[in-house]
Amino acid sequence: MATDGVAAPIAVRSRPAWVEGLVGQLLALLASLGIAVLAGSLLIVAYGENPLEVYSSILDASMGSADGIGYVLAIATPLIFAALAVAVCFKGGLFNIGVEGQYLVAMVTAAWAEIELGFLPGPILVVVVLLAAMLGGMIWAAVPGILKVRTGAHEVVTTIMMNQIAISLVAWAINFPLKFSNAPAGQNVDLRTDQFPEGGLVGDLGQYFGVTPGAHLSWLLFLAIAAAVIVWFMIRRTRLGFEARAVGASPGSAKAGGVSIGRTQLRLFLISGALAGLVGMQQILADRGHLPQNYVVFLGFTGIAVAFLGQNNAIGIIFAAILWGVLSRGEVALQIQSEVPREFIIILQGILILSVVITYQIAKRRLAARQLQRAGAAGELDDSAGPDDEAGPRGPEMKGREAFEAAEGSGT
Amino acid sequence: MTNGDGAGGNGSPPLVVLDHISKRFPGVVANDEVDLDLRAGEVHALIGENGAGKSTLMRVLYGMYPSDGGRILVRGEEVKVGSPRDAIALGIGMVHQHFVLVDPFTVTENIILGEEGGPRLDMDAARRRVAELAESYAFRVDPRAVVEELSVGEEQRVEILKALYRGVEILILDEPTAVLTPNETKDLFGNLRKLREAGRTIVFISHKLDEVLEIADRITVLRRGRVVGETRPADTSKAKLAEMMVGRPVLFRLEKPTVEIGEPVLRVRGLTGEGKLNGIDLEVRAGEILGVAGVEGNGQRELAESLIGLRIPASGTIELEGTSIVGRNVFDIRNAGVGYIPEDRHDQGLVLNMTLWENTVLGRQDDEGFSGTFGVLFIKKIKELAARLIKLFDIRARSVDVTASTLSGGNQQKLILARELETDPRLLIAAQPTRGLDVGAIEFVWKQILDQKAAGRAVLLISAELDEIYALSDRVVTLYEGKITGEFPPDAPPEDIGVGMLGGSKEAVG
Amino acid sequence: MPFTDIAVALQISFTYFTIIYLTGLGGLFSERSGIVNIGLEGLMIIGTVTGAFGARFFTDTLELGLPWGPILGLLFGALCGAIFAGVHAVATISFRVDHIVSGVVINLVAIGLARFLSSAFFNGQSTQSDPGGPHLDRLDIPFLSSIPGGVDRAFESLSPMVLVAAFMVVPVWYALNRLRWGLRLRSCGENPEATRSLGVSVPLYRYQGVLLSGAFAGLSGAFLASEIIGNWREGQTLGLGFIALAALILSNWNPIRLMFFAWLFGFATAIPLRLNDAPVISALPPQFIRMIPYVVTIVAIAGFVGRVRPPAAAGRAYEGGGGV
Repeated sequence: MATDGVAAPIAVRSRPAWVEGLVGQLLALLASLGIAVLAGSLLIVAYGENPLEVYSSILDASMGSADGIGYVLAIATPLIFAALAVAVCFKGGLFNIGVEGQYLVAMVTAAWAEIELGFLPGPILVVVVLLAAMLGGMIWAAVPGILKVRTGAHEVVTTIMMNQIAISLVAWAINFPLKFSNAPAGQNVDLRTDQFPEGGLVGDLGQYFGVTPGAHLSWLLFLAIAAAVIVWFMIRRTRLGFEARAVGASPGSAKAGGVSIGRTQLRLFLISGALAGLVGMQQILADRGHLPQNYVVFLGFTGIAVAFLGQNNAIGIIFAAILWGVLSRGEVALQIQSEVPREFIIILQGILILSVVITYQIAKRRLAARQLQRAGAAGELDDSAGPDDEAGPRGPEMKGREAFEAAEGSGT
Repeated sequence: MTNGDGAGGNGSPPLVVLDHISKRFPGVVANDEVDLDLRAGEVHALIGENGAGKSTLMRVLYGMYPSDGGRILVRGEEVKVGSPRDAIALGIGMVHQHFVLVDPFTVTENIILGEEGGPRLDMDAARRRVAELAESYAFRVDPRAVVEELSVGEEQRVEILKALYRGVEILILDEPTAVLTPNETKDLFGNLRKLREAGRTIVFISHKLDEVLEIADRITVLRRGRVVGETRPADTSKAKLAEMMVGRPVLFRLEKPTVEIGEPVLRVRGLTGEGKLNGIDLEVRAGEILGVAGVEGNGQRELAESLIGLRIPASGTIELEGTSIVGRNVFDIRNAGVGYIPEDRHDQGLVLNMTLWENTVLGRQDDEGFSGTFGVLFIKKIKELAARLIKLFDIRARSVDVTASTLSGGNQQKLILARELETDPRLLIAAQPTRGLDVGAIEFVWKQILDQKAAGRAVLLISAELDEIYALSDRVVTLYEGKITGEFPPDAPPEDIGVGMLGGSKEAVG
Repeated sequence: MPFTDIAVALQISFTYFTIIYLTGLGGLFSERSGIVNIGLEGLMIIGTVTGAFGARFFTDTLELGLPWGPILGLLFGALCGAIFAGVHAVATISFRVDHIVSGVVINLVAIGLARFLSSAFFNGQSTQSDPGGPHLDRLDIPFLSSIPGGVDRAFESLSPMVLVAAFMVVPVWYALNRLRWGLRLRSCGENPEATRSLGVSVPLYRYQGVLLSGAFAGLSGAFLASEIIGNWREGQTLGLGFIALAALILSNWNPIRLMFFAWLFGFATAIPLRLNDAPVISALPPQFIRMIPYVVTIVAIAGFVGRVRPPAAAGRAYEGGGGV
C-alpha cells in the first residue's frame, strides 16, 4: 500500500515529459511528410512525369540558389506572424480564424499612419507604422474576443464574419479616405493608396546575401523570428502563458484555481491580433510600398495551416513556415519545366496538412498510452488506478478505457 | 428474514461460469484468473474496494472488454461475448453506476433505442409495451416522461427496465445504491426480490457491506483482481468481509484530536440560488470540522462552489471571519484564506495535461516567490516546492515533470491536498474528498484533515459517505434539497442522521 | 421606395434562403449525430466547382440537355461534396481529430482543391470558368405569382430548387423524428455512450450524418454556381457556409426553425444586392452596405447564443473538448 512502502526518490532532472512529446511530434511530422510525398508521387506519375525529377526541381528552385532561399524566406516571413497569431489563441483553447481580416484592417491602419504621419523621420516612422498595424489587428481581434467573453458567441463564426467585413472595409478605405491623390481622372489606373514615404519602408535584407531585390526579403524576417522567440517565452515561461495553457487544457480547474478565464482569453485575442497585424507588412512595406486594391489574400488561412504544421509551437512554426515557403516556391519550377500543373503544389500542401493533423492525433494517443504504461510499471498505479475508479464521470474509469482503446486502435 | 436459497439453491447447475478470466490494461492487471459462477434465482454480491476489479470483471462478461485469458460459459456452453449486443442476446444485461440515458429523450425512447425493427417508429405501441413490462415487475415509471426530469431512483428503474425489455435473465448492477436515498434503496431491494422470485439472477456490485449482507444470497470478494473468498451472509460478518477486502483489519476510526473550538470562521445565512440551494444556514468555527451529510444531488456541489466563488448565489450572506465574501471572485476568496478540495478532481482540481510542478503552482502563480516582472515564472523555485510536497505527502511519481494524468486517483487527490494545505487556509472546503480512493489513501486524507483541525483551522466537510462523516466530524448537519434539515452530535445513530437526510420527516422511513 | 424593389429583394432572398437552408440542413445532420462541422463553407466550395463542371458536362458534353443535364450536374456536386466530407468523417470519427481543427482543415484544403479541379475541368483556368453555363428553367410559383400590386414579382422566375429546398423540411423532419434511423442518429449526438451501450454503432450513424452534410452542402454550392451565377468563380461562396452555420446554431438545430433563420440571413444577403436605395441604407457607402449580412449574423449570434442548446456531444466539441 502507498503508505506502507518507501516513497520513490524524486529526480527533478529525469527525462521530462516534454522531450518525449517533442520526439513524438517530430516523428509525426516526418511521417506526414512521407505520406504527402508518396501521395504526391502518385499524382505526378499520373501526369506522366518522374516524381524524383519533379521533387528535385522543386527543391532546386527553392534551395538551390541564394535567390531561391531568399524567396523562400520572404514567403515565410508573413506566414510566421500569421501562424504565431493562430497558435497563441489555440494554446488557450480559442480558434482565431480571423487572422485574415485582422491583417487586412492592419494594412489600412498602417497605410493611414504612413500617409498622415509621413513627416516623421525614417526609423521612427517605421516603428510607428508597425505599431499602427498591430493596433489595427488588435482592435479587429478585440471584437470577437469581447463577444466571446461577454456573450459566449463562438469565435469561429464571429471571426469569419469579421473577415468578410474587413474585405469591404479595405475596399472602402482605398476608395475614399486613403485614395490615391494624384490619379489622372478618367484613366484606367488601379485603385490604390499613395506611395508611402521612402523612410517608411522596410529595407531589403537580401542584398547582403546576394539575393535579388525581386525577392523582397526584408528585415521583417528578423522581426518574425524575434516574435517567435518572444511568443515561445511567453507561453512557456510567463504567468500569462501558464494561465492560457491551463484555461485551454482545463477551464474548470483553471477557474477553480482563481484564474480569470475571460480576462485570459481577451488578452490572448489581443496578442493574437497584434501578431496578425504584422502579416501584411511584408507586402505593403517591403514589396509594394503602398496598399493596392489587389493585395495578397489568404495569408491568414495559410497561417492556420502553418500553425498546424508547426504543432502550434512557436519554434516549430518557424520551420513549418520555411517548409511551406519551399513548397510554394516550387510552383515556379513546375510552371517552367513540367507537365504537372502548378496547382499540384496546392494539393501537396493540402495532403500535408491533413496528414499532419491526423498523425499528430495518433502520436498524442500513443504517447499517453505509453506514459500510462510506464507509470504502471513503476508501481505508481497500484492503488486504484484501474478502470474501477468511480472518481467521477470522466475519471480514471475513462482513463483505463481510453488507454485500452488507444492500445487497441480506433474507437468502436 | 431469509435471504433464501431461492430457486437456484444447491441443486441446479450454474447459469454462467467465469473460468480463469484475466484482463489487463496498460500498466495494471485488473482481473487475475478469476473464477465465478452465477445461478438462476439468486442475488450474488460482488464486493471489493475501489480498484479490486469488480466492474471490470462484469464488463468483460457484458462484452465491453475482451478478456486476456480464460473462458465464459453460459448455460453450459462456452461463448464469445464480443459486444454488449452479444451479451444481451445471451440474456445478460448491465446497469452502470453512471447511467447511460439520453436526457432529452423520453423513457420509452430510451428503452427502445437500439431495438431492431422496421424503419418506422410506432411510439404508441412502444409505450404500451413499456407500460406493461413495468407493471409486471411493479416498477413505477411514466413512459412519456422525459429522462432529464426524473429523479435518480426513477432513472435507475428506467435502466433496469431497459435490460428487462430485452429479455435479460442475468442483471448486473454496478454500485446501484451509491446514488439512492435510503428510501429509494428500500424500493430497489423490493424490486430485486421480485426479480429473484421470478427466477432472475442479479449480480450486485457494491462496497456497502450492510446492504450486501441484507440482500445477497452469496458473496464473492475480490481484492486486487483476484478472488479471495466466497461466502454467504449467514456465515460471515461486516468485519470479516472488510478484512477480506483489504487484507488486514481495517481501522474505521482515527483518533480525533481534542482542540479548543474558537470563533466562527465561516458563517452562512440564507444561501439561495438556482433552485438547488434553498436557504442554507451554517457555521464553522476554528478548530472544528463540520460534516455536511447528504445523498448527492441535494445541493452539495452548489454549496461548495458558492463558497469558493465559482458560483454566485441569488441571495444570502457568506462571511469569512467577519468579512463578506459573497459574489467575490475565486482569486480574492482564495487569498482571503480559503482552500478547496473539489468533488471532481479532473474538472475543478488538476489540469491533467500539465506537469506536477505546474499543477502545484496553479492558483499561486501570482505570488512573489513564484513569478516576477513581466510575469516571468521562477520555475526552479516552483519545482523545488513541488518536489518537497511530493515527498511530504508521499505521492508516487517519478519526477515533478510527469503529467498529472499519469498519477493514480489517490495520488492525484494527494497532490490537490498538498497544494491546498500548503497555503494554510483558515477554512478548508472538502467536497467528497475520498471518493474513488482506496483505504490507504482514505486514511491519509482523513489524517490530513484532522491535522488541520489540530492546527486550529476550520474544515467544512461535505460527504455522502457516513463512515467519513463519523470519522471526522465534530458536528453533523444534514443537507436535503438545498436546506439544512438537522443538526446532530458526532455520535448520533445513523437512523437519526438518515432521517435528516430524507428531509426530517419521520413518516418517510418505513 | 418602389414596391417592386422590395419584391425583387424578396425574390433574391428566396434564392439565398435556398443556399443557406440546404447547407444548414447538411450541418444539421452532422451535428445532431455529434460531429461538429464548421467545414460547410469548404464543402460548398467543392460543390460550386464540381457543380459548374457537372452542369456543363451533362448538358452539353453528354448532350443530355435540359432538364436532365443540370439535374445531374447538381447531383454531381452533391456527390463530390459527400466524398470530400468523407475526409472530415474519417479524421473526426476514426482518428478522433478535434472537430473544429478538422473543419478548419477542410476549409483550407477546399480552396486549394477547388483551384486544382478548376484547372483540370476548365482548361487551365484556376480561378473561374466560362460564364453562361446551363441551368434549369425558371418557374413562377402558381398561386402567389398572381397577386397584384407588385408583390407577385417576388415569386416569379425562381429556380425550381427553391421549392425543393422549402419542401425538404418535410422528409428531413420525418426522418429525424419518425424513423428508427433518426432516433439512433439523434442519440449518437446526445449521448454516444448510451447509444454504444445498446449495441448501436455510433461511428456508422455519424459517418452517415457527415456524408449527408457533404451532400447537402455540395448541392447548395452546385446550385449557387450553376443555377444562380452561371459559372464557378473563386470566392463566390462569400462566407455563406458560415452564415448557414450561424443560422443552424440560432435555430437550435431544428429543421423547422432553420427555415426562418435561413430566410432571415438570406434577406440580409439580398439587401446589398437590391436594396441599396432604401431609406437608411442608401446613406451608407456601398462597401458598408455589403457588410450588412455579416453584421446581422454577428449581432444575431451574440445576442441569442446563450439561449440555444446544442446536441450534447456536439456541444462538448464546441467547448474545445475535442468531441466525444
